[in-house]
Amino acid sequence: METTLPSGRIRVRPRSHANTVLQATLIVLALLTVYGLITIDTRNINVVTAFGDMLNNFRVVLFEARLKNLSWLDLFRELMITVALGLLTTVFGAIIAFFLALLAAQNLAPRRVNDAVKVVMAFIRAVPTVLWVLFFAVTAGLGSVAAVIGMTFHSVGYLVKAYAETFEELDAGVLEALRASGGNWWQTVFQAVVPSSASALLSWTFVRFEINFSVAIAMGATAGAGGIGFDMFMASAFYLDLRELGIFTYAVLIFAILLEWGATRLKETVGVKRQA
Amino acid sequence: MSLLELDQVTKRYGAETLALDSITFSVQPGEFVAIIGPSGAGKSTLLRSINRLIDITSGDIRFDGVSVPQLRGQALRHHRTQIGMIFQHYNLVNRLSVIENVLHGRLGYKNTLQGMLGLYSEQEKREAVRILETLGLSEQMYKRCDQLSGGQKQRVGIARALVQQPKMLLCDEPIASLDPSSAKVIMDTLQEINRSTGITVLVNLHQVDVALHYAERIIGVNRGRVIYDGPPHALSNAQIYQIYGSEAGELILDLKERYAA
Repeated sequence: METTLPSGRIRVRPRSHANTVLQATLIVLALLTVYGLITIDTRNINVVTAFGDMLNNFRVVLFEARLKNLSWLDLFRELMITVALGLLTTVFGAIIAFFLALLAAQNLAPRRVNDAVKVVMAFIRAVPTVLWVLFFAVTAGLGSVAAVIGMTFHSVGYLVKAYAETFEELDAGVLEALRASGGNWWQTVFQAVVPSSASALLSWTFVRFEINFSVAIAMGATAGAGGIGFDMFMASAFYLDLRELGIFTYAVLIFAILLEWGATRLKETVGVKRQA
Repeated sequence: MSLLELDQVTKRYGAETLALDSITFSVQPGEFVAIIGPSGAGKSTLLRSINRLIDITSGDIRFDGVSVPQLRGQALRHHRTQIGMIFQHYNLVNRLSVIENVLHGRLGYKNTLQGMLGLYSEQEKREAVRILETLGLSEQMYKRCDQLSGGQKQRVGIARALVQQPKMLLCDEPIASLDPSSAKVIMDTLQEINRSTGITVLVNLHQVDVALHYAERIIGVNRGRVIYDGPPHALSNAQIYQIYGSEAGELILDLKERYAA
């Protein structure tokens, strides 16, 4: 009996343009890596020793953490400055974003207004927070004011998108019903839109608060906004004190966990509050 | 004097689609009118043009002596307070309580701030509670609307319309999403409201048998035109086929049964 076995080796993967490009890319990357490793300037550092030192540094940061230049009270105050920076920018951002999102939602405002607001917000989001802070530092000077304005700016861009999409999921019939009974736009917003989307708005706002908290740490150092980020910068780059840096790391970690826990609890309470 | 007069009402969507084509009829105070017709015949558009949720292209609608197409702002809100509307999908704010939803019927009477904050007078609240009692919903008063059954939701919808103290009720497919027994409760309720308070009822229906059973007057609509306007007993099989067009042969209802019964 005759079979249709091809002569030679059987190819499992078909030869296609995409596969060729993928393989070529991987080969080029591999060659670049090898070249990089060969020509790396180690400055006569022993890689094994360096790796051991790194692990030792981690051990010092995590297991020998202690305070030196700051008291516990100072630590708490600095942490609260960072929290305040995150909270303030979130609250400002949320309030401004709420009203702009009403204009950005397709079921609440005319199409032209939607598009205008959405384009501006997309632009604001496209520029990183740090750049906005540095941008406002030109007028406000490097410091907490520039940090607050810049972070608020980016929060607004982010929250408008999140809020507007929440509003757009609303049942159109409900809006129609309130209009049919003579309700005007503001009444419809506060009697139908807000109650229906409250828990989603809250949850987006909390996500942004978490983002703003971590951004606030970075801003403390880069924009000189103060807070625990600035102390971390000083401890690591100025005093070279890894043990103090460890305490700051733990403080941030603990607060982030508390935040997460609080957000979950709050969301649960809001979710069931009206069940009664 | 007629409560509602439609005169050559036409609604065009774009250049091609004619949703309403020169519709003319009038409704006397206290009438119970059913509008029947196939899906897409323009029934919903017709109801929504009466309370101006939709703007008509040409013609005139007069409600209680006032020309509706010209109304703006405050006058339009006042016009809408006089007409209660009931929807197929109830259109309640699910996260709010029953009583809060009923009080939404008062929004048209409130100024912007009172309405936004939900500040209703004791008299309005008492009236809302009274209406809920007559509809058998007093135990559900503080429940969230998403915990109610379909029939209960529709009764909340009726309560919201009644608290407006309307002269007329527009019902857009009020029983299309309900099981037969809840549907009967809703239709009986509408009939009872019509008889005891004299509120005019204009109801869109898919179910011809229900329309024939409850309405004093039938308006048959097809492709935006009124095909039949008269009492239910004068409506012939042939006319029903005409209203439902090519679907005629598929109609479940057969009028012979009605005459036999």
